Amino acid sequence: MIKGKRKECIAMLLAGGQGSRLTVLTEKMAKPAVPFGGKYRIIDFPLSNCVNSGIDTVGIMTQYQPLELNAYIGTGSPWGLNRIFGGVHILPPYARSKKSEWYKGTANAIYQNINFVNRYDPEYVLVLSGDHIYKMDYDKMLQFHKKKNADCTIAVLDVPLLEASRFGIMNTNDDDSIYEFEEKPKKPKSTKASMGVYLFNWSVLKQYLIEDEADPDSSNDFGKNIIPNLLKDKKALYAYGFDGYWKDVGTIKSLWEANMDLIDPNVPIEIKDDNFKIYARNNAEPPTLFAKTSDVKNSLIAEGCIIKGAVKDSVISSGTVVGEGAIVLNSVIMPNAIIKSGAVIKYAIVGEESVIGENAKLGEFPAKVNASKKDITVVGRKTNLKPGEVVTQ
Amino acid sequence: MKMTGIIFSNVYDASLGDLTMHRTVASLPFGGRYRFVDFVLSNMVNSNISSIGLITKYNYQSLMDHLGSGLEWDLSRKNASFYILPPFASGITNVYRGNLEALSNAVKFLQANKPDYVVMCDTTVICNIDYERALKSHIESGADITVIANRELTAFEADSNDLMLLTDENGMATDLTIGQHPGEGALVGMGMFIMERNFLISIINNYVSRGRYSFEKDFLLSRFVEGDIKIKVYEFGGAVLRNHNIVSYFKNNFKIMKEDIRADIFKRNYPIYTKVRDEAPAFYSESSSVSDCIVADGCTVAGKVEGSVIFRDVTIDEGASIKNSVIMQGTTIGKGAKIENAIIDKDVTVTPGAVLIGGSSSPVIVHKGDTI
Repeated sequence: MIKGKRKECIAMLLAGGQGSRLTVLTEKMAKPAVPFGGKYRIIDFPLSNCVNSGIDTVGIMTQYQPLELNAYIGTGSPWGLNRIFGGVHILPPYARSKKSEWYKGTANAIYQNINFVNRYDPEYVLVLSGDHIYKMDYDKMLQFHKKKNADCTIAVLDVPLLEASRFGIMNTNDDDSIYEFEEKPKKPKSTKASMGVYLFNWSVLKQYLIEDEADPDSSNDFGKNIIPNLLKDKKALYAYGFDGYWKDVGTIKSLWEANMDLIDPNVPIEIKDDNFKIYARNNAEPPTLFAKTSDVKNSLIAEGCIIKGAVKDSVISSGTVVGEGAIVLNSVIMPNAIIKSGAVIKYAIVGEESVIGENAKLGEFPAKVNASKKDITVVGRKTNLKPGEVVTQ
Repeated sequence: MKMTGIIFSNVYDASLGDLTMHRTVASLPFGGRYRFVDFVLSNMVNSNISSIGLITKYNYQSLMDHLGSGLEWDLSRKNASFYILPPFASGITNVYRGNLEALSNAVKFLQANKPDYVVMCDTTVICNIDYERALKSHIESGADITVIANRELTAFEADSNDLMLLTDENGMATDLTIGQHPGEGALVGMGMFIMERNFLISIINNYVSRGRYSFEKDFLLSRFVEGDIKIKVYEFGGAVLRNHNIVSYFKNNFKIMKEDIRADIFKRNYPIYTKVRDEAPAFYSESSSVSDCIVADGCTVAGKVEGSVIFRDVTIDEGASIKNSVIMQGTTIGKGAKIENAIIDKDVTVTPGAVLIGGSSSPVIVHKGDTI
């Protein structure tokens, strides 16, 4: 540590959740490590947002199946987060002299890392989660926070009223100050949904974390405890409106949808943006090879693939092989999967390194136009489908 | 046994004409996302060579920009690094008189590095080779020098600088010629040599001071003819792409689309590293048609691409058609443009409707940054 040096704002990224609603995809890895968009992993989005917002110190709190995530983050050099002072740090729970425990909740995860935050003596701490796809300049939020003289600013997204009851809703006054927070309200009063992006004055947050830890009845959660306590004490809480693309990818259906959004020109998420790049660890794969027999339409295809079959309305991750006569429609293929010749894949997610045998059939067109989550067929990591096998939901 | 690596970055600049006007041969783009130097550098890194000297003389800005600190080749470590070796300020002419003269830049580097052996390479020959195995064979053979070579199975036109060798059953050279076939069963040198470090230092000191500049002609050939040195020929069995001139460069770009050659050059356990540009995956629109080609990250393809190599960050608009061409990084091909048998350098703008058609062995070349 360099004595006397400090950071104005550091980020704490909650990456410990299991993500059980992603079923087979998170059996062996934490949700933030799940592949996304051909060459990324979910965590690349919040990490790149930090870097693009001028935040160069990020603590990543891990707990569930962390190996894949730890290896992926490494020294942080792919994101430019290998810094002499600051940079990226993986923060697993650790044993203490008096007691050792897992992270009991989102607030407890940061409570257990108070010493880490104190090393940087920051004015502000940004709390992020590792399961959202969005591009956001946190610096604009910080400027808003300073202007409002806030103790805590919560980023909110305007959602349709019909969907508001699925989110944590912030009820605000005209000056954007928050007077009430309702978790999944039956009758929402506002459409300002929390994006899970919190900016705190560190001195205030630290105090509330310590108090929360002392309360044996608390579930040590930001949404359930910290935010309500701040509101109860009439602290200055503000809602910062964000109007870009944001998507929670916590379910198979939403993960599939977010991938499809990348190839939909009407959806405002642009991953090809030189002014706001999404960084990812690189695997030194050669460019993708298309054979004479390939037929590709409206798809995103990363490097290192060999495409001999037909690919339509799909996202194909690096190192994938699509054999001759194989058809991939409206699907997400994760890295290094092998689709053997004649296999047909529709409305599916195929996990990393899985092999779909010759003439196997996976997934089907949804019965209704408005597909429910059951309509996406998913094959887990390193799973093999035998030749001719038929798998549908 | 450890090795030091020496790479010549611009000895053969002249042979690649227009393409090396503003860059060294080593920084010539190849294969959709690479530069020539990436292959030899990755081979060295994959062979556990941790100190590498890159000899350069002029036009090396693009090379330095590409290599940066060497991080992407895992060469930015406490115990592994590479050094760019520009000439000491002196009155010598712009073009090397030979690779021995180029090596005189590297004497201090060689003296400072402890490994007993040196492998030295050009960048114009593309392959995926394990130099550790070549070194093992060199040591076992007891030869003074090992020439790495392969057998060219198809009709091969030797370049005036190609070493051709005949060997006995133990792989020791029995005949050596330059630029001419010595007879049935000849092997062709790949511009890669292994020898003891002190031996190389003594060659450089003895020859350059006597006005003799070519390693192959002045040293290798003349000493071999006199019977002074024993040469081991290490036969390499993998795919080898020699880039002697623009035509062979043009054709070799297409050879890596052949699945067997691709598998041989791009191996998962011996990866070819290059500068990371953090491009998004390529997007192919509803109107795109891609067949028999390779496409790198960051491209947006709405037109038709056939039998071509498309580098990173290329945009191909709707209705454009590209056939049998090499399109380098950052180029934009406008609507309805037609391109056939062309090498289009970096950051070119081809305006809508433009037509560019070359011959299959005389491609049209468009210079970096031009607008057509």
